[in-house]
Order: sequence, then structure tokens, then C-alpha cells
Amino acid sequence: METADRQIVAFGGGGFSMESGNPLLDDYVLGLTRAERPRVCFLPSASGDADHYIVRFYRAFSAHRCEASHISLFRREQGPSDLRRHLLSQDLIYVGGGSVVSLLGVWRAHGIDSILREAWESGVTLCGLSAGSLCWFAEAVSGFHGEPKRLRGLGLLPFSNCVHYERGSKRGEAYHGFLREGMRGGYAAEDGAALHFRGEELHRVVASRPQARGYRLDVAGSRVVEMQIATTFLGDRDAPHAAPLPEALSTAPAA
Amino acid sequence: MAVEVGLSTTTPLRRILALGGHEFSSRPPDRAVCELLLRLAGERGGERPRICILPTASGDTSDQIASFYSAFGERHCEPSDVSLFRLGRRPMALRDHLLSQDLIYVGGGSLLNLLAVWEAHDIASMLSLAWRQGIVLAGQSAGAMCWFEAGITKSSGRPLAAAGLGLLGGSLCVHYNNEPERRAAYLDAVGDGMPAGYGLDDYAGLLWEGEGAPSALTARRGARAYRVSSREGEVAESPLPARFLPAPAPAALREDIAEFRRIKTMRKRAGWLG
Repeated sequence: METADRQIVAFGGGGFSMESGNPLLDDYVLGLTRAERPRVCFLPSASGDADHYIVRFYRAFSAHRCEASHISLFRREQGPSDLRRHLLSQDLIYVGGGSVVSLLGVWRAHGIDSILREAWESGVTLCGLSAGSLCWFAEAVSGFHGEPKRLRGLGLLPFSNCVHYERGSKRGEAYHGFLREGMRGGYAAEDGAALHFRGEELHRVVASRPQARGYRLDVAGSRVVEMQIATTFLGDRDAPHAAPLPEALSTAPAA
Repeated sequence: MAVEVGLSTTTPLRRILALGGHEFSSRPPDRAVCELLLRLAGERGGERPRICILPTASGDTSDQIASFYSAFGERHCEPSDVSLFRLGRRPMALRDHLLSQDLIYVGGGSLLNLLAVWEAHDIASMLSLAWRQGIVLAGQSAGAMCWFEAGITKSSGRPLAAAGLGLLGGSLCVHYNNEPERRAAYLDAVGDGMPAGYGLDDYAGLLWEGEGAPSALTARRGARAYRVSSREGEVAESPLPARFLPAPAPAALREDIAEFRRIKTMRKRAGWLG
């Protein structure tokens, strides 16, 4: 028997949460499902299930191209009662941004952590940005609040991860520090770049912005070796590139 | 004669106010609850006590935060909120902020999520310390059950038993009159060995001040607090005598609003407006 194609797409930042008017990353993950009308479930847990965020998800994943749903763990009396069955029946599970610490706490309380592993192993594509990217890795750099912190994720991917990896960012500096202190090697992605894994292997890096990049980071002795990864821009390179619109977001871009 | 200086004079009174359910509206019973919260905070903090809401159980909804500020924003106090899901936008020193309060109010929502998120952010130890330092802990619904050993939550859809922080021994069931299925689940759970405790109707409350039994309070006629216990598998509910909290007069209207309402009333009487 063929094993299911396990896929995770971890955005450094981007998609409908952060790039209004630029659907390239969202289109990419929908395309991976190979379903005509993919079933997509949004998990906004990291935002505390913020209403405005859920509304924006349904706007971006409209009914004419997919069958969209969401799970609010703060309002369990609404929505699917059998979480496992619902999640395992999806083609794509999309995890929103916000507080990764809160995200992992709430997921554990509802048993979502083990369901997501099962979904991944059975071939449901997993994706997300920011907190929704960090969560898939063994270790993560969270800069959601105050000084960047080192924390453990679900561990589906045996690497470390850092999101919003913009030049000169505090997170980037902290990530290098953690690596020198013994954090396992891993991957970083800038806003607009997404790390696409098949199984536990990085398959490719794609981007919704021409300049956005992904990176591989390892430690050699006490030195951090950072390597830029060839990144495929998903748009038309010759088209005039509109700068992503800043969104008045409360929670999504943080992690 | 020697003056005895016991430890008791230096140990702050530990106080918890558990409420079965209420809102921050301008309706009389809600105003009565707000008045009680202000009084408890003022007994510790004086003229301008510091009152902080933890809206965690709701996922830090804007609604819950806004209604809290609308209730306390214009009063003699310093209201604030700790929104764990919004720290990215507004970083704060959680421990310092919480321990500098006179009253910490926990809003309703999902008890399961509340405790999970608190655990992830290590809030429980801060609250326990706050309590021991005499900071009043208060809350309604999930924000009331969280202080007990156990409660009955609908966090997963149907009512189920869930553990709380356990600062108070025993259990609590909220919305006692309004949600028969929750009450039934509670009676079953106590019969099955859940620690005995209390049932609280909406607008009923229990106030613990130091050691000993709590005093029952009610902000609406007919709202009751019950002692729920089990003897040889038989679960008994006995209502507790409760002190009625009268609603204070509504805050004086601003002059321009009062003027507007007078004109509107006059017009209505004259038949100008429907």
C-alpha cells in the first residue's frame, strides 16, 4: 500500500491574513490538494477565534472554489461536534496567526495536537502562517510578545523554525543565539515566503513576493551557517508588483 | 499589658467572589454587581482601586473587553485588561501588572481553554500569589468555576466535569437556574463522587473572605445560591440565605444627553415622532 503524501506548507508570513489582494500563497496550498472543490478548514485558535479573522478567511476561501469551514475552540457549542472526524475529512487545514503559546495550550486541551498528526499522516495538507507555521516544528522561535522565546511545537517536522525572518529583525538575531545555545538546525522564512515540506523533507520554497526568501540554518561548531534557499516566485515576474496592503490586524501577523 | 502581635495582622485576607452569571450592562442587577466589585476593590485599593479583567475564556473578544470598560471606565477606579491573545500588539509585564491590581476579574467563556491558555502562559501561579497577597479574585461563569477544584463546563459542547485551579475546595456549577442540562450534569457528577460544592443562579454569588464558609449574595430577587452535597449517593440541594445587593442609582446623565432625551420625549408627546 502506498503511504499518503504528507505535506506541510509553513508560511513565514502571508496569505489572506497579511497580503490582502495577493492570493498567491493561498492559491498554491489550494492547488496542492488536487481536489476540484477542496475541503478547507480554518483553525483560528491562535487569535482566540477572533470573529473578524474568521470572516476574512471565508472571504478569501469563497464557496466557488472550495468548501470552507472553521473550528472555534472557544465556541464548541457551534460547529462540528466530532472534531476528529471533521479534521480528518479535510483536504487542507489552514492555521491562522496569533499567539503560538496560546495555540498549543488550547489544542492540547481539546486533543487537536494528536488529531493533526493523524490528519498529516493520512494525507491532509497542513499549512499556516506565523504561529500557524511555527506549530508544526519540533522547536520554534516565538516573538509574539516581548523578547523572542524558544519553545517546543508539535514536532511533525524535526527542525527548528523562525517566521517573519526579515533582515535585521530581533527574531533573526535571537534565532542565531538559540542555535548557538544548542537549538536544533532548521528553517526560516521571510514574509511572503513559504516552506513546502513533503514528508519531513523540504520540497521547495515558494513566494508571493519576488524578493521573499527562505533559509536553512545549521550550527557548525559555535558558528551559525545560514544558507539562502532558491525560491520560486509564484506570480508573474514581469507584472508590476503591488506592495502588500497593510491590514488593520489585531493578531494575525504575530506569532 | 503586652500587645499581642499575631501573624494574622500581617497576613492579608484572601478573598474570592464567584458569580453564577451576569453582564456589564446598565440594568439594575448588573449595576449592583459592578458596585460590589468596586467596593471590594476599594477596600484594598482606596479611592482609585486598580481593576483588571482577564477575558481569556472568551478568546479575548472585543465585546467582553468593551463592556468591561463601559462599566468601569467612568468610575473611580483604574480599569485595565490582560488579553493574552493580543500581547503581540501590546506587550506587557504580566506578573508585575497582575500583582499590582486590587481586584482581578475573570470573564466567562470556555473553562477548558481558560485553564489551558493560563497554563501555557504560567498565569495560575501569578493568580495564586495575587490571592495570597490579598488581591481580590472575582469572576462569573467560567471565571467563577476556575477558582474551585472542579466545575461543569460546556467547553466541549455538552456539559462535562472539568478541573479548576483549586484555590477553593469543592466544586461549583454556574447558570444554575438557566441551564437545566448543566445542573443535571452537576448533580450526577456530585452523586458520582465529584467533590461537593455550590450551585449559583445568574445574579447570585458567593464571597469568601478568609477562612470559613462563604457568604451568599444576590443581585436579583429570586436568584439563589445552593449548597450541593451528597450523602450515600443521594444528592441534596439546599438554598443558602443570601444578602440582597440593591442596585445603585444609574449614573447621572450628561447634560447634553439629558437635554436631548427631554426634547425627544416632548416631541413624542406632541406626536412628531413615531
